[in-house]
Parts: sequence; structure tokens; C-alpha cells
Amino acid sequence: MPNVVRAAAVSLSGIRKNFGPLEVLHGVSLTAHEGDVVSILGSSGSGKSTLLRCVNMLEVPNSGNVSIMGEEISLDQRPGRAPRPADPKQVNKLRERAAMVFQSFNLWSHLTILQNVMEAPLHVQGRHRNECRAEAEALLERVGIAAKRNSYPSELSGGQQQRAAIARALAMRPDVLLFDEPTSALDPELVGEVLKVIRDLAAEGRTMLIVTHEMAFARDVSTRTVFLHQGLITEEGPTSEMFANPRSDRFRQFLRRDGASSH
Amino acid sequence: MDYFQLMGFSADGWGHDMLRATGMTVAVAFIGFAVGLIFGCLGAAASFSNAHALRLAAAAYTTALRGIPDLLVIYLFYFGSSSVISGIAALFGSQGFVGAPAFLTGALAIGVVSGANQTQVLRGAVLALNKGEVEAGRAYGMGPLLLFRRIILPQAARYALPGVGNVWQLVMKESALISVIGLVELMRQAQVGAGSTRQPFSFYLTAAGLYLLITFASGQAFRLAEARTMRGLRRGI
Repeated sequence: MPNVVRAAAVSLSGIRKNFGPLEVLHGVSLTAHEGDVVSILGSSGSGKSTLLRCVNMLEVPNSGNVSIMGEEISLDQRPGRAPRPADPKQVNKLRERAAMVFQSFNLWSHLTILQNVMEAPLHVQGRHRNECRAEAEALLERVGIAAKRNSYPSELSGGQQQRAAIARALAMRPDVLLFDEPTSALDPELVGEVLKVIRDLAAEGRTMLIVTHEMAFARDVSTRTVFLHQGLITEEGPTSEMFANPRSDRFRQFLRRDGASSH
Repeated sequence: MDYFQLMGFSADGWGHDMLRATGMTVAVAFIGFAVGLIFGCLGAAASFSNAHALRLAAAAYTTALRGIPDLLVIYLFYFGSSSVISGIAALFGSQGFVGAPAFLTGALAIGVVSGANQTQVLRGAVLALNKGEVEAGRAYGMGPLLLFRRIILPQAARYALPGVGNVWQLVMKESALISVIGLVELMRQAQVGAGSTRQPFSFYLTAAGLYLLITFASGQAFRLAEARTMRGLRRGI
């Protein structure tokens, strides 16, 4: 849609984040428009997961702004104290619009798969139980684990757990999906089934931010790519251009180093 | 008079007294346990507080109460509150010693003592929580109360229950100490019966059997509760 002006779904500007004396993000700005699939690449320690966690305030930036679907999160960033959201209720509302899928799944272990998927729509969004159940069952069907609906997370393989976690994210009816290294905790033979689900979501035009180590996947699926190095964006642009013609030495090195392992 | 007449429910049997005393033991232990659970929650919450003073208070509470003999705490509560009550009564012209209600002070005393143990148990349960699952709750828009009710409580319960069950058994046995301040619970009743009939074995063995019955039954109840909360926990590890 080159000629259509699309709204910004996620907009980060000037994000700085400290952990104690260590600053891990040195002023990062990033915009994802509706329908964008943005891959966030970088070696470990580059700050890419921290950046993603700043979107839904699991990490609160020390300075800089975050907007989701045009609404800016108001932050209390007075110097000399830990930054925090000025209005926790606003953050909780926005978290419903930007659902996160974690590296280690983080399904609730005391609930069945179906209950996991129904939990947030039912108790956070206060939707009707029957509606939540029907939608949860449809989502589990969609990610291919409907048969496991009454199992507990510990009874599933990693790939099945991550697919359940994706269903849990979709059940919130979010505007944006945040993936934090969704396949890094999986055995190699289970990576494919999870990537397929994410690929299908990308194909439907969902807005997604994906932190990943799967280069081939990032190249295939994402419309835009952001390369982070030591807490700064070194290079960004349309994915096809960036992979075909890396401009910075850093990104070129990164691609070359990964060349051996990508598939 | 044989054992069954002695412990029977006829006019000169002790059955009614022993049963009533058993009920009293359960009641005082239950109230003490409940008070302890409240103190334990407060103590555990304080120990995780950001405020240094609260953390210090929690540490002082557990250290002090676990380091003092329970009997001493019971005396302290009983004679402490009795002297306050006597003092107040003196203002209204009463003379001499006015005892505090034994049930209340006794239950409070073992509650405060067991609360120190509960603090440790609940602290451990919270520390055992999977941080990622708690974080997922926050990431899905749960506020603090919802998060506590839907995620933290059911998960912490499964780590806390075995320890909480132990504390209950301890409270149960500690309740016998309250006999020293005159509450007629099972221990005291057995003493009275043994003294007045000169058949100590019959009374103490009966009391022992009744204590065992209570702890056995409550042990079963805790086992059921544990099985319920352990659902979904990784099997075979």
C-alpha cells in the first residue's frame, strides 16, 4: 500500500534505558505503522529485548516517549528516581492493545491451555465467558492445538506451548503483537511450527514487532528491519533492501557471521 | 469402673468433658492458626516491602518470636494483659487480680508465635514463584489485585501448603501449652481427670489418641488441598 498513509501503531522516540549505572539504550526512535512487520535484529546485549519491553512498559524508559495507536503513555521520569508510568491504569489499557509473546512462553502453569487463552479476555477485559470460550477454542484450532485445550502447559512440547502463547496473545484482540525471541527457547525441530504460525499472522497484515535470531525468517516475513548495536539503531529500512545492500559495516558483519547458521 | 465406663457418656463418665475439651482444643488452635496466618501474610508482605523499616520489623519479628520459648510468650500475653486489666479494674474500685480471658490471650499468643513461622513459609512460597508467569500477568493488563488473585495466590498456594500444614500441626500441639493459663482444653481436661480419678494412663492415652485423630484428619485435608493446587505442576520431576 505505497500510496496510503497509514497510522503509526507503535511509536518510540528517544528511548533511553538504564539498569543501575549501565545505560543499555542510548536514545532509540522507531515507528511501526499499521500492517508493518518489523524485525528487530542485533547481537545479544544490543538492547533489542529491552527495547521491545519498553513498548508495553515491562521496562519503563528513563527518558523518551512511547505511543501505541496514537496514544502516548504518560510517564513519570523525574531525575533521581526510578521511572514509572504516571497512570498504571492507562498502561494496563494499552497492554491490552499490545500483546506480548515471550521467549520462555510464560503460560500460567496452574491453568489449562484453554483457561490460559480465556484468562485475559475474561478477567482483564471483562468479556462474556461463552464468547471468550468460543473465541479461545477457535484460536487454539487455528494454531493447531485444539486437542490440547484441557492439558496443562507442562504437558505440552515447547512448540505447542509457544503456539498456545500466541493464541493467548491473539485472544486479547490486540492491535499490535510483540514477539520477544519467540523461538530461542525451542528445540531446533520445533522452531518451524511456531514460525509458520507467525508467518500466517504476518500474511494477514497484522502489525508485529519481532525480536529474533532467525535471520532467514526475518528476511522472509518482515517488511521492515531494524538493526540494533550497543543500544543504538545502526541501520534500518525495508527488509529486502537492507538484506540485499547492507550499508553499515556492523550489519554487514552481522549478516556474514550469521550466514553459516541461517537456513 | 472399667475404661469404657470411665470414658463413657453416662452420668459419672468423662466422655462429655473429654469431647468438649477436644472441641476447645480445635477451636483455640484454629483461631491461633488463623491469627498466625494473618500475621504471616503481614510479615511476608513487610519482608518484601521497599521500605527499609518494614523489612527490618519483619526480620525482628521472626527472629524474636522464633527464638523465645512459646510458654514464655503465653505467660507474657496472659500476665501482661491481666495486669493491664487489673489496673483498669482498680480504677473502678476492684481489688486484686483480674485474669484476662484465657481463650483469647492463649489463641493470640500462639497466633503471634506461629505467625513468625508462617512468615517464613509464605516468604519461601513467594520466592518460588515463576517470575515469567507473574510478568505475563502484568503484560496482559492485570492490575495488582487481579494479578494477586488470579496468578500469585493460586501459584504461591501450592508452594506454601506443605509448610502451612506443618505450622497447623505445630499450632495444634502448642495449644496444649495454653492449659497453663487455665483454659480447659484437652490437655487441661486430661490433667483434671487424671488427678481426680487417679487413672492418669487412661486420661493421657485418651488425650493422646484424640490429638492424633485431629492431626491425622487435618493432615488428610491438607493432602487433598495440596493435590488440588498441584494440578498442572510438571510431573515426573
